[in-house]
Amino acid sequence: MPDAAVLIDHVHVNYSERPVLNGISLAIDKGEFITIVGETGCGKSTLLRLILGEEKPTSGRVLVNGEERSQPDRQCGYVPQKYSLFPDKTVLDNVTFGPEITAFGVWSIFRGLHGRQMRGFREEALRYLRHTGLDEADARKYPYQLSGGMQQRVAIAQALIMKPPILLMDEAFSALDPATRTGMQRLIKTLWRESGTTIVFVTHNTREAVCLGTRIIALAKNSEGHGSSVALDLAVPDLDFDSEESDIGDLVREVESASVRDRPLVYN
Amino acid sequence: MSLLRIHAQPSRGMVWILSWFLFAVGIAGYFYAAQERHRENPDERVMPTIAQMARGFADAALKPAEEEEAQGGASESLVSTIRASMLWKDTLASGRRFVISVGLLFPAVLLGLHMAMFPVIGAFFLRFILFFDKIVALSLLPILFIAFGIDELSKIMLIVIGVTPTIILDTFNLSKGVPPEQIVKGFTLGANDLSITYRIVLKQIWPRVLNGIRLNLKTVMLFLFAGEMIASTDGLAYRIALLRRHMGMDTIIPYVLWVALLLFLVDFGMNKLNHKLHPWFQEK
Repeated sequence: MPDAAVLIDHVHVNYSERPVLNGISLAIDKGEFITIVGETGCGKSTLLRLILGEEKPTSGRVLVNGEERSQPDRQCGYVPQKYSLFPDKTVLDNVTFGPEITAFGVWSIFRGLHGRQMRGFREEALRYLRHTGLDEADARKYPYQLSGGMQQRVAIAQALIMKPPILLMDEAFSALDPATRTGMQRLIKTLWRESGTTIVFVTHNTREAVCLGTRIIALAKNSEGHGSSVALDLAVPDLDFDSEESDIGDLVREVESASVRDRPLVYN
Repeated sequence: MSLLRIHAQPSRGMVWILSWFLFAVGIAGYFYAAQERHRENPDERVMPTIAQMARGFADAALKPAEEEEAQGGASESLVSTIRASMLWKDTLASGRRFVISVGLLFPAVLLGLHMAMFPVIGAFFLRFILFFDKIVALSLLPILFIAFGIDELSKIMLIVIGVTPTIILDTFNLSKGVPPEQIVKGFTLGANDLSITYRIVLKQIWPRVLNGIRLNLKTVMLFLFAGEMIASTDGLAYRIALLRRHMGMDTIIPYVLWVALLLFLVDFGMNKLNHKLHPWFQEK
């Protein structure tokens, strides 16, 4: 798979002898929107941390754009469920942080000396913020002054301004109320269609996985405690949120029956 | 209104009365006891009256220190009178030591930060600092006087030894408390190890570090007073120790209240400045 954005090759992960992931092999192509589902504790987030380079497999290898990585870097953008923004920075400073730190490094404390370049970063950040549905008044606020949905919009803008080849989202909308969540799902789908970024989206919500992804990976725990493996790898049509309920419902049932043997996954 | 109700909502007036009540009782109790003792013994010196304390404080603040009296200068402006006074000179001497000591806490902050962020540095220092933290600093006082003499250095070293381990460990814990998601995010946004240390972690913990230093100011003052009382020729604690020999309670009590007022003002100022500089910081 020379063109794979991410190649996961026979990966096993054990935490102090306890197997978590058991022989996972996956190839994620450039531009795909992958959703990973599975019940709590089945290793979804571990899989994401492996791709990030935040964790090492016990055996096997993980290649991102053909290379093994020793720590997270600009190859992958990252939107976690919580603590997604720097609390000491305004919304605008959160979004310009990446371009600034890339341009000036630790000396970005003297960013005031680079007026023209900083103006450019701010204008670009404002463009991204507008694109995610925020305005200039929001840009001056601190994260604690924003709702959960607005914070996640900023987090997406913060990640996308770096134009990462891969965007990793770890239960990014789980803490949001259903209405905000639907809005965010539409937003990320639109941004994906426009940017062509490869997205790996971890969720425990099967309906979210079906509506967002172009391919669904369902992880399931093995019955004898040998860690989780891929129970379903399913390419799905690029559904809109207004698609026929029967289409979505059939897929949800198929994914749930594959990923959970004895209890249904929660979805709202 | 029950006193022990979690959902009790005392009015503003009630809160004001309650918060000043113990002050009023303390002051009234003191002066009642002082008056009683003075009625029994007009030469009473242990509990001076308010007039005696006012006179003692005025003498300390407005009369030249003993060494200045020898020069016998003619009376000058109020500012120069105050600047020649015992209180001013003592405050200046203690203040200088206090500022130097607080300044020396900042390298401790950097050490705690680096110990938390870089495992090799953490492994090198942590066990030693944890042990060092358990040493009772005052027990080192004789060693410090022998090693550094009885000048300024030994007093400042006492404060450094007494307070820096706490600040180092406090900063270490605060840095470790920054959510790992923030550090991962920093890397994915192109930051390197130093940028993450200084631009993400230090900036986030800085208001809490300042709070930690603020809450340790009394400890700094405690060690400063211990040093000054044992070996010094000036300073607020030196003066209190000196006056103790003469039972000069009419000056000692105003001095103690003056020190408390200065510490309160530094604490209040640092707290205000902290919230002004970090508007995102919500903790009180």
